[in-house]
Amino acid sequence: MSAVIANRSQPPGAAAARPSQGLSALLRNTQALDPLTPVDSVADSMLDSRYAGLLSLPVVRGDEPIGTISRYEMMRVFLMRFGRELYGHRAIETLANRNALILAIDTPIDEAARLIAERIQSPITDDFILVDSGGRYLGTGVVLDVLRAMDASLAERSSELERAYARLKSSQLQLVQSEKMASLGQMVAGLVHEINTPLGYVRNNVEMTRNTLGDAGRLLGAYEAIHRSLFEESVEPPADLPDRLAEAAELRRRVDESALIDIGELLDDSLHGLGQIAELVDNLKNFSRLDQGLLQKADLNQLVASALRIVQHVMRKRDIEVIFQNGELPEIPCAPAQINQVLLNLLNNAAQAIEHEHGRITVRTQLMGARVLVLVEDNGKGIEQKHLERIFDPFFTTKEVGKGTGLGLSIAHQIVTRHNGLLRVVSRPGVGTRFLLALPVAAREVRT
Amino acid sequence: MSFLPTIVLVDDEERILRSLRMLFRGRAEVLCTTRGADVVEWVGKRKVHVVVSDQRMPEMTGIEVLREVARVSPATMRILLTGYADMDAVIASVNEGEIFRFLEKPWNGEKLVAAVMRAAEIAASSLERPLIAPAPAAPPIALPSRKVAHALVLDAQGGVANLVRQIMPESIRVSVAPEIGMALDELVTHDVAVIVAVMSSEAGDIVDAIKQLKKLRPATLVIAVSSMQDSRLTISLINEGQIFRFLLAPPGRELLRRCLASALERHAQLRLSPVLAERHEVEESRSSQVTLSGRLLDVWRRLREGATRA
Repeated sequence: MSAVIANRSQPPGAAAARPSQGLSALLRNTQALDPLTPVDSVADSMLDSRYAGLLSLPVVRGDEPIGTISRYEMMRVFLMRFGRELYGHRAIETLANRNALILAIDTPIDEAARLIAERIQSPITDDFILVDSGGRYLGTGVVLDVLRAMDASLAERSSELERAYARLKSSQLQLVQSEKMASLGQMVAGLVHEINTPLGYVRNNVEMTRNTLGDAGRLLGAYEAIHRSLFEESVEPPADLPDRLAEAAELRRRVDESALIDIGELLDDSLHGLGQIAELVDNLKNFSRLDQGLLQKADLNQLVASALRIVQHVMRKRDIEVIFQNGELPEIPCAPAQINQVLLNLLNNAAQAIEHEHGRITVRTQLMGARVLVLVEDNGKGIEQKHLERIFDPFFTTKEVGKGTGLGLSIAHQIVTRHNGLLRVVSRPGVGTRFLLALPVAAREVRT
Repeated sequence: MSFLPTIVLVDDEERILRSLRMLFRGRAEVLCTTRGADVVEWVGKRKVHVVVSDQRMPEMTGIEVLREVARVSPATMRILLTGYADMDAVIASVNEGEIFRFLEKPWNGEKLVAAVMRAAEIAASSLERPLIAPAPAAPPIALPSRKVAHALVLDAQGGVANLVRQIMPESIRVSVAPEIGMALDELVTHDVAVIVAVMSSEAGDIVDAIKQLKKLRPATLVIAVSSMQDSRLTISLINEGQIFRFLLAPPGRELLRRCLASALERHAQLRLSPVLAERHEVEESRSSQVTLSGRLLDVWRRLREGATRA
């Protein structure tokens, strides 16, 4: 009777299979049924423990797969009145599902899963047949094994994704940091120039003052000597008087009253220069603060003035006229170092947008309702509509490779958003660009 | 004290001008302005020995000012005094400004006075003899064809050497030295008009050699080709090495050709009136000699003897 059952394989370790691998990891060496096997003996086989894990059994002639016979189909037949009597002696091929899924052994598991999903029906009634490249029968595969393999690979993929996400996040942090460093570098270059100019004349003036005071001291000494020799030592003019007079005359050539007046002026200049240096250092201090999380009450007008001072060299170098119209503003809660970064970015962008000789940047501040507004407006080349849409996107830049990170405005936007504020832009190519920064007067919860 | 040179100071900060005017009081007649255009006008109208210019100024940059000065009054010595040196400005100061010194703010009073007064002395002798023809607006296109010149390429890789060979007409002898020792031998035995020195990051001894060489042979012109964007090094090559041109590696063919043509022409001028070589006088080097090996020092001695005999 039955052509049943040979060596039944162990259920393969589905978790070890990878979706890109072929189905060989899932292959079960199921003994196939001859097409002429009577339905009765197939029913007996189905009770055999060796076929326990299978939804359907393969029907194969020689090594050519004919189809599958499922437990479901057998059940349908046997549940019919006299079903077993009517069908029991017929050959199994009369009941076999001729459209059974037949897969080549090298089909990738994810491809197999796709094919299974395409034809799946409820309830799942059939497993599938595996064949070699010549279409010859090799064994069967179980749908459940495929699902397990897919599940395992999904878990692996998602942990891979998690790792990739973590890597991405850390490189984003690095980029944000390098954007900061880049703008810092630019700022330092400008500040070095700004500081070296006053430092140059202050140092020179102090040196000259020291020399002049030395000469003045010696001149006083010479006069003193003349005075002594005239009035104290003797009645007669002493013999060395002509020498002393000559010495005094020589010194007088180097230092006289007008030199002392000049020195006074130079010292005034020096005080002015030192004041400038102190101011620059003070501004720098504001910018370098790293206490980002700390919310402070700050006057936006002061922040703008301070940012303008920092970019002054850029403006002067490009001969850009800067107009600052400050409205009356209340102090607002914010992280000043971060707002400074935003302002600096807007001002630098404005300066870079100007390519002609009559550059003008207008900065206006005003209170409007519950918001403090800062408008930064330039008469530069403007931004095309298609670029405008992407202007706050990270890494979007119209500059040459290596010239900009494309993060400046994206970071600015993030900072403003964290302050519950708004950053908006309008632009007309050839006319100019206006950025609007709006920050709330009263802080809701600010996440810095 | 009888010689009172005229010096012109230009800076957009008036306090710098006041301070410098005071520094030169009794030493020079000082003209000051915040506008570069004034400087160009003045050097055209009167005898000006030295122009000291700031770099970053509105309207005209220092290099633009000095380039115009060189055109209008080539005998006037040019000095840049700047608070911040970005690489572009440093390179342009060599190639366009052909400056005598690149000085930085804050300056050292004594050194500044020494540099300016030395420049004034040198300018005085050039101003006496109108030997420098105004530089032509465009550099001459044709390379001199007489067999007067000898070019030396110091190039370990050979790429620049090949380029120079292609550019130079056959009448000019081109020798190539892959390392500094061979270059020095060449310098001892030949009267080299122009050296093209390719510098890499390990080129410390080349830099020192150039500085030493210019002390002994001020008429030999050096074109430095460097991949290093190091402004400090380049400034020292200006002040202590008086390089004639500075090119970033790899140099463009046309640019290199123009530089070589200008260098050969300048060398011919210097041969005609050796006093002009003073204009390329170098500042005392701070670092060299210590690093030169015994063998190199020996070559230098031979060079020096040759120089004193000449």
